[in-house]
Amino acid sequence: MGSNAAQGITVTGVSRSFGSVHAVRDATLAVPPGSVTALIGPNGAGKTTLLLMLASLLAPDTGTITIAGHDPVTDPQAVRAAMGWMPDVLGSWPSLSVRASLEVTGRMYRMSRPAAAARANELIGLTGMEALADRPSRVLSRGQKQRLSLARALVHSPSVLLLDEPASGLDPAARVALRELVRRLAGEGTAILVSSHVLAELDEMADAAVYLADGVTASAERVALAGASARSWRIRALDPASLEGGLRASGVSGTRTDHLGTLVQVDNEAAAADLLARLVGAGVQVSAFGPAVGDLEHTFIDLSRPEANGGAAA
Amino acid sequence: MSNTVDTNARPAVTPDRTPARDFVAGLWLIVTLELRQRVRGVAWYILLGIFVVLVAAVTVLLWLSTTAWETGGGAVFSAVIFFVLLLGTLVSPALSGNAINGDRDIGTLATTQVTLISTGQLVLGKFVAAWITALAFLAAAVPFLLFAVTLGQVSPGTIAVSVLVLAAEHGVIAAVGVGLSGVVTRPLFSIVVTYLIVAALSVGTPIAFVLLGTATKSEQTLTPPAGCHDPATTVDVPRFDRYWWVLAANPYVVVADASPGVFDTSGNPQDLFGWIAVGVRQAQVAPDLQAEVPYCNSTGQYYGDGKQPTARELYDNAVPSWFVGLGIHLALGAGALLWAWRRTITPARRLPTGRRVA
Repeated sequence: MGSNAAQGITVTGVSRSFGSVHAVRDATLAVPPGSVTALIGPNGAGKTTLLLMLASLLAPDTGTITIAGHDPVTDPQAVRAAMGWMPDVLGSWPSLSVRASLEVTGRMYRMSRPAAAARANELIGLTGMEALADRPSRVLSRGQKQRLSLARALVHSPSVLLLDEPASGLDPAARVALRELVRRLAGEGTAILVSSHVLAELDEMADAAVYLADGVTASAERVALAGASARSWRIRALDPASLEGGLRASGVSGTRTDHLGTLVQVDNEAAAADLLARLVGAGVQVSAFGPAVGDLEHTFIDLSRPEANGGAAA
Repeated sequence: MSNTVDTNARPAVTPDRTPARDFVAGLWLIVTLELRQRVRGVAWYILLGIFVVLVAAVTVLLWLSTTAWETGGGAVFSAVIFFVLLLGTLVSPALSGNAINGDRDIGTLATTQVTLISTGQLVLGKFVAAWITALAFLAAAVPFLLFAVTLGQVSPGTIAVSVLVLAAEHGVIAAVGVGLSGVVTRPLFSIVVTYLIVAALSVGTPIAFVLLGTATKSEQTLTPPAGCHDPATTVDVPRFDRYWWVLAANPYVVVADASPGVFDTSGNPQDLFGWIAVGVRQAQVAPDLQAEVPYCNSTGQYYGDGKQPTARELYDNAVPSWFVGLGIHLALGAGALLWAWRRTITPARRLPTGRRVA
């Protein structure tokens, strides 16, 4: 399989409705091989519907999808051989052990019995489930099922990976492990699309983000606009009183103080760097200076505001 | 541990692979998965145990009562076969009626559908697994059938045919159950509808047959024999001959009619199955609407030759009704599976209201 532009995921003008409910209206996105793209949107924005269409389970009403160079509607087998899907619903065969579940999944991808067993063993190590390998999956906790679900999506070493809320239910250590795994898979050339609500998590994982609101993906211009809008920065100083004075001296108004520090509205990064230099120059002992919310969260919140949608999403 | 793309993990292409082999391998994987998932449980073995105890009790009681009547193995055999069919129709819908929608509920249907397992393999695999489960009940009853044989009067041909037809009937119920589980969204409803179909076939067909036959009447003119001065009379006769196929669709009738008829020298059936077969096939005979009465009332003279067709002659001259009945059942089962396949195929275009893909 070559590495032409058609690899990875491309979605063009896709829509899907269920009766009178338009779950996805107009989705356009591209995930090149070797990159991680975050799919972000409020509840009910159509993220899961979009992922189901990418996973070859749901046919779009309009628009085209290619996964690893194949159309899931006309050639679902080719798509399935190349695509791994981790659903948001945690389904596992209750009476099968973790190991047996992975072996059965491998054999569903037409692996030989020994190859499936070897791969299952490998994935148990990869997802840190050695201690759980021979337990029936019905006794697993939510986070453990989540790891099994991830392992199952990786059984056939897919070149395209779709992760629907992969981090929900995971403990902090497992989240870090997930992030490292996702980055490594991307480094090995996998095209990865991750949907999640944990935006801070995605900030560290994703190369790019796609915003989906009311079934429509936000255009690149709108995302750029939202990302560039004024945002809050949080500043902490050893002496809060001197910080307050420094800010006043810099002509910054509209500050707000919470238990973590002082929140300041700053137009852009250059203005933030400028402000920091001035504060330090004024002798304020700054101990922390950074954006109050992550890049994705900032853009997300900005795009979710009704006025950002041109009043269309009242 | 590395997750580099290793050649083992890719679908390995070996020379002996063909699409047909791949299809069967995937199908069998689903069958074994289904059996491991659905069947291998304590509850199932308890159910099987209760079934064996019941069949044993029925066999022994029948044996005791029939030796009292000095008949023999034929009655015991027929009754045990019917009893196995009854219990099979009571158990099978519960085991097969949630095969597909139950998986959707626990979230394992979609994760199977994103693999290289096709919808055909999935539906057929679940059907085969449900059938095998039902056949386990039949297998558990075989010792009792053999015991009935040792009592005499039952030919090996009868045994073989009865067991085969019974197995086919269990397959039909499994197919209907699995099929409906793919059509109806909620597992409870699909199980109930499967039971209703079984009830319609077992109980509904005789009722429908009688009602339809008696509701549609024809006028029969009875003319007196030549030389007799009785007036011609007309009577209404029921037309069961138009609806015999309704009765033929009864699973009990299918099993009974399929066993080779064994008759004594005067042309009477030897066992219960034979009597049922004769009765059902008799229904195929259309009434003669211009019949001549062999008896003259005014003279008291009898003109007939006293010859009535024997049970054997009726049996031999009729269409084998089991063939028609089994044909209807197979069409029903195949149709249910086909419908389920159409409804489960992915990527899904149209979804029934209230159904999720995953």
